[in-house]
Amino acid sequence: MPTEDRSHTEPGRPDPEALLAAANKAGRGRLKVFLGMAPGVGKTYEMLRAARRRKAEGVDVLIGVVETHGRRETESLLRGMDVLPRKPIEHRGRAYLEFDIDAALARKPKVLLVDEYAHSNAPGSRHPKRWQDVEELLAAGIDVWTTLNVQHLESLVDVVLRITGVQQRETVPDSALSRADDIELVDITPDELRERMAAGKVYVPETARLAADNFFKVENLTALRELALRRAAQTVDDQLVAAMREKGVEGPWAAGERILVLVSGDPMSNTLVRAGRRLSDMMMDAPWTVAHVERTDRAPPPARWSARLREALKLAEQLGGLTVALNGHDIVATVMAYARRNNVTQIVIGKTVERNWRERLGRSLAAALLREARGAAIHVVTEAVRDTTDVPAVKREPFAWDNWKAYLTGAGFVAIATLAAWGLDTAFDRVDLGMIFLAAVLAAGVLHGLRPALAAATVAFLVYNYFFLAPRYSFQIGAPTDFLTLFVFWAVALATGGLAGRVRDQARGSQRRAAAVSTLLAAARTLSGASAREPVARALAEQVAAAAGARAIVLLSRDGELEPAAGAPSLEPLQAAPMAAARWAWEKGEAAGAGTSTLPHTAWTFWPMQGARGRIGVAGVEAGAMASGSDEERLVLGLLDQGATALERAELAAEAVETESLRRADRFRSALLSSISHDLRTPLSTVLGASSTLLSYGKAMDPDTRDDLLVSIGEEAERLNRYVGNLLDMTRLEGGALRLRTDWIDVRDVLAAAAERVSRRLGGRALTRDFPTDLTLVQADASLLEQVVVNILENAIAYSPPGAAIEMAAYEDRGNVVISIEDEGRGIPPAELERVFDKFQRLEEPTDRTQGVGLGLSIAKGFIDAMGGRIAAASPIHDGKGTRMLISLPKAMPTHHNLL
Amino acid sequence: MRPRILIVDDEPQIHRFLAPALTAAGYDPLRADDGASGLKGIAVWSPDAVVLDLGLPDMDGKAVLEQARAFYDGPIIILSARDREIEKIDSLDRGANDYVEKPFGVGELLARLRVALRQRQRFPGGETVIRAGGVEIDLERRLVRRDGEIVKVSPREYDLLSRLAQGHGKVLTHKELLVSVWGPAHVHDTQYLRVFIGQLRQKLETDPAHPKLILTEAGVGYRFYSP
Repeated sequence: MPTEDRSHTEPGRPDPEALLAAANKAGRGRLKVFLGMAPGVGKTYEMLRAARRRKAEGVDVLIGVVETHGRRETESLLRGMDVLPRKPIEHRGRAYLEFDIDAALARKPKVLLVDEYAHSNAPGSRHPKRWQDVEELLAAGIDVWTTLNVQHLESLVDVVLRITGVQQRETVPDSALSRADDIELVDITPDELRERMAAGKVYVPETARLAADNFFKVENLTALRELALRRAAQTVDDQLVAAMREKGVEGPWAAGERILVLVSGDPMSNTLVRAGRRLSDMMMDAPWTVAHVERTDRAPPPARWSARLREALKLAEQLGGLTVALNGHDIVATVMAYARRNNVTQIVIGKTVERNWRERLGRSLAAALLREARGAAIHVVTEAVRDTTDVPAVKREPFAWDNWKAYLTGAGFVAIATLAAWGLDTAFDRVDLGMIFLAAVLAAGVLHGLRPALAAATVAFLVYNYFFLAPRYSFQIGAPTDFLTLFVFWAVALATGGLAGRVRDQARGSQRRAAAVSTLLAAARTLSGASAREPVARALAEQVAAAAGARAIVLLSRDGELEPAAGAPSLEPLQAAPMAAARWAWEKGEAAGAGTSTLPHTAWTFWPMQGARGRIGVAGVEAGAMASGSDEERLVLGLLDQGATALERAELAAEAVETESLRRADRFRSALLSSISHDLRTPLSTVLGASSTLLSYGKAMDPDTRDDLLVSIGEEAERLNRYVGNLLDMTRLEGGALRLRTDWIDVRDVLAAAAERVSRRLGGRALTRDFPTDLTLVQADASLLEQVVVNILENAIAYSPPGAAIEMAAYEDRGNVVISIEDEGRGIPPAELERVFDKFQRLEEPTDRTQGVGLGLSIAKGFIDAMGGRIAAASPIHDGKGTRMLISLPKAMPTHHNLL
Repeated sequence: MRPRILIVDDEPQIHRFLAPALTAAGYDPLRADDGASGLKGIAVWSPDAVVLDLGLPDMDGKAVLEQARAFYDGPIIILSARDREIEKIDSLDRGANDYVEKPFGVGELLARLRVALRQRQRFPGGETVIRAGGVEIDLERRLVRRDGEIVKVSPREYDLLSRLAQGHGKVLTHKELLVSVWGPAHVHDTQYLRVFIGQLRQKLETDPAHPKLILTEAGVGYRFYSP
């Protein structure tokens, strides 16, 4: 629930709120309202004429919906205009032709005409009210023109009822009119209107003819006309004020008036809210807040009251007021504390009829507030018509025989008191036996509350009177003071019983709150235990379903599309209508579905889940089990807050992982780039240089020099080829495109083939082989393993001096076939051993500059890992020199039968 | 008459250096730039050998190979990228004689061409003895000699060796060898091959760690040394 904090701005500075409002308006369509006092003044006609003019100017004007009511002049204006076809909506076997908002949004005209702003859409439409459609159209950047009669304005409903005696069903919140950028008043005199009506030019449904005659009285029309004129003028004022605020011009609006409206959920609540809005209008749009006090010491009010309270608060928001819930056990103190804290100058309260006795005692709320209020004006609004269908204000517990035990215990106390009194009476003289019975009443009151206490008091008095008061053994009352005894008994019963009852209610209340808190705590533990989105969603759905006592579902966005993620008791796909409500809640960040103003005919209610960084998802509860505004709902909303936090944390964790892998990919890419620029260019420059030298001076060179240059071209091209091969291998590894073709292979075979491939590059180094006669086969990819060995051999060549020995060996070791390749190079510093398999890791400059790219060992490791083997480096191996590379591959067990 | 070699490749650069190299080596180069004209060239010119690139713009090189094999039985040498073993095996199984990895040196291609053309000269000649290095295989008497001395080989070893030797340097895929020596049921039992090749090398190679007679084509198959 929003609480207010509208801070006063320093003079001369633009009001941040006004700037924000202006910013929100940017990109929105403009709203133009053709305002009239009553049907028949020609609003639609005027709107269409204006539309034709705009169309003639070349503006893209589309008629979304226009009610001509069969009037020929109006219909003729439709000719040649683009009219949007209406959309049929089925409801309870009847077809309604409604405005097609989706088609309008898809068509996206510059100006869209939507007649009758106050129209209620057929059930099953996206929004119950047309002004909500218009709101969506404006948000989509479409200029909307619409028509409105002043009697449909929410804040004027009471006034119109008083003037005309007609209750308006179709209403538009005042904020929907204040939002208008232009208001065009379509005005004719009441006499003219009556003439038009007499001429049959005003559409009136047949069924409403009688009511219409009442409505179209001159005095009614005059009053309505005044209302329309005032409202139009006021909107102009509002716009002026808004503009001044936006520009930071000091003005009369900061009158310092602040209005507080107190509502309780009684039948007057809506009237009070409207009164607050009117008061605010009169005070230059003074900020106004609607508050209700939640009594911490009382059981929650009956469902009907809280429903009405919610309605009133919603109305307040629609009318542009703020709402706040105050907590306290003393209404007056709580309200006055809030009023003083917020500089409230005007307090609006209501007075209902049945509080009269309190008033006579000087204990009415108004009286108490008047005593306390310093500097604030109190407006007391009285009830206009008594709503007889309503429940009385005092909450009655139904008399229940299931607490007969309480009465029985009360009787028991009285019986014990009787026995005690009889004993005392016989043992001692002149004992005040009344005290004994009083004790019984007291006990009944403390233990069982008001009614059992009263019953016990009555019984106690009767027994006391019968047995102990003169004349004894009769119910006759001897002395008038005996009546006093009866009253004292009752008084004690009232006091203790009432007190005990309140204590019990309080205890029950705190139990309920404690239960809610423990549910939330349990949920927090469960939710914080899960780390991925799906488990969090599942836990949340379960918690919500348990709290609401209904089916629950959690929807999360996946690639921008809202998808059901978890459900309790099970995840079932949503039907189209609930899914639409869920999407609405997701897109607009407002509750949707049953019990809300959007798609209220859906069987589910959906709430958006808001995290610190934005919307996380949507949670839905099947409607029915949980009353809106109940403790359960509050608990569910609390759970959703926690769920949103947990989901957000899970998302952040997932993002962190993704970021890390992105970061690594990025590092790889930049290393790749620098490697390409160096390792590709070096051989290319040799090739280019040597070939261009040969072209220019080849004829003048001796054959040896020429051959040397040609050889260098060949060598560099081969180096380039190896490098490209490495890059391809790396890409296959990185891109996950590596496909193994494992087969039975003889490692000796592979080593020999690899040795063959590098033989021309040995450059005087001796490559020795140490193979056993018998060697078990392994399952591996022969060509990948060959590439691995080639890469290791090339590395050994690159880092060892010419003439050094390189030794290849293969042997079996505990279930593995091991390949060992040793060189006599400088070796690898221990600190670097772990990093030699990293990509582009090159230890200083190789001795043979034509070799090595820094990818070879990394590829070797990648390939060996893929084959299920292991690769490791050991260095130094002897005399502080040399490196040994070990590859171990798991032995395969070939079957030898049937071989010969 | 100079043997005519048809080169089917869409890369003009390849033609640019292959044509003079082949001419210099005593061949008569012919040129086709895509699969369709390659097939036409094979049909019209009936060249002595074909060098076929697998990556052609208009059709798959393997399809060209398959269609050509319907009417042409001369040697076809495939040009293929290093990391495409499956393509190599596939081509060999579809009737290619040999392959050369791209990028390649002219020397390598010419060596393979010579081997392939020699196979053609011998085929289907009824030769009775194959000699390679110090090894002599007497096909009529099913005898193997090394440096003049008879080497004892099992019947399966002999079958495998003779099959390899009759290829005269042609790459024989694992599948080909397994099917012809062990039968179609053992087409995936490459471990048999590994074991038998290992045994043959022990018996025939001077240094089994440095095989010169039976050469491994990693992931593809084996070829028998041809001088």
